[in-house]
Amino acid sequence: MAAAETEAGGLRSGMAGAAGPAVDEAGAGAGAGAGAAAAAPAVDEAGAAEEAEAPPPPLPGLQLVQQGAEARVYRGLFLGRAAVAKLRIPKRYRHPALEERLSRRRTAQEARSLLRCRRAGISAPVVYFVDYVTNSIYLEDIVGAITVQDHINSVQQSGNDTSSLLTLAEKMGELLARMHDEDLIHGDLTTSNILLRPPTEKLDLVLIDFGLSFISGLPEDKGVDLYVLEKAFLSTHPDTETMFKALLKTYAATSKKSGPVIKRLDEVRLRGRKRSMIG
Amino acid sequence: MDLTHQLELFPGCSVTLLLFSHVKNAAALRKKAVEGSIEGALINPAMIVDPFQILVAANKAVHLHKIGKMKTRTLYAEIIFSLSPNNNISDAFKKFGISDSDTAVLVVLVVDREKTVNLEDIASQVEGQQVSLDELPQLTDTAKVKKMYKVTPQEEKIGTLLDSIVCRMSTKDVL
Repeated sequence: MAAAETEAGGLRSGMAGAAGPAVDEAGAGAGAGAGAAAAAPAVDEAGAAEEAEAPPPPLPGLQLVQQGAEARVYRGLFLGRAAVAKLRIPKRYRHPALEERLSRRRTAQEARSLLRCRRAGISAPVVYFVDYVTNSIYLEDIVGAITVQDHINSVQQSGNDTSSLLTLAEKMGELLARMHDEDLIHGDLTTSNILLRPPTEKLDLVLIDFGLSFISGLPEDKGVDLYVLEKAFLSTHPDTETMFKALLKTYAATSKKSGPVIKRLDEVRLRGRKRSMIG
Repeated sequence: MDLTHQLELFPGCSVTLLLFSHVKNAAALRKKAVEGSIEGALINPAMIVDPFQILVAANKAVHLHKIGKMKTRTLYAEIIFSLSPNNNISDAFKKFGISDSDTAVLVVLVVDREKTVNLEDIASQVEGQQVSLDELPQLTDTAKVKKMYKVTPQEEKIGTLLDSIVCRMSTKDVL
């Protein structure tokens, strides 16, 4: 781990050096030629930097579950328990100081939000260990869980009883209402960020991936949170409009502060792409 | 009888737990621990619900020790501090360390590859009976633990007491 980090440090300073003269010369107007010349070595270093990324944690039974834009997710045994390790991927195109600060902030926000959820009785994974050096987080692995996305897809494909999906939507609405009542904004609500604990029929939901979460009491933020989910929902799962309506209905019924939030949601819907802003 | 676990993130480092009951010389042991003449962390088993709790604390302590960012002066003090849900060091020692009137002691040892574990040495210093860690749940004071970690009633519905405790231990420095 230490060796990789010093190597990465060395590469970073190399890149900063290459970027420096490029910026100066761009300012002087001789940008194009000098910029290209400086960019070439920077690109090479970026290529080499890809291999020098943080190695996977030495957990027994380790397997890479997924590589997202933000982090690599591994599964393995940690201190004798099934755990998930989230290692943030360093973004080399960012300025190193900014990268460090952003990475640390996101890790801290994630840990803080997971604790806040737990304290409020909202189902989220237990945090086992947070490493502020590599900005990685080790969490409880909910063995045998499937994402709501996979569940909806399999129910729709098997053509089975879709009324269970309405109950699922109601449960989701209830869960989100409780989360928003704690003034916790998830930031990345999609059906792949909500898990179903086994057995699936119990509809025991668990929220995951709080990397983009923050604390806010504003109906605007809560409205946007719901809008993100709506967009993700309707684009990933066809013919689920009734499901989402049921979700919002239960949300409105469960949350004490839902009035302004739903109002904002309607307003947010009118914004965005391909929408006419004519008042 | 004792429990040993290798820390996955720190290869070569292993944590050993020893539980003693009917301990008669708690006061003398506490004095030795404060002096630093005992190679181990002496913990009050009433505040521990599961060995996993100790492993999480030890993992964090070893991590901070390796990067030189411990809040206390020794690794063993850091383990005791990591168990606490707040950042008050003396409070951590008072609640999680042993007191003169204790009759049970949980000893935690951390060994690196090079050093050899001398269990008999530690066991001989404790005037008590070494028992299996399976007896730990009997020694736990659940009410006291819930109060110390401020576990909410809603929390108890979504997970075990151990879950709540571990979450607080690992996220206390971010809040």
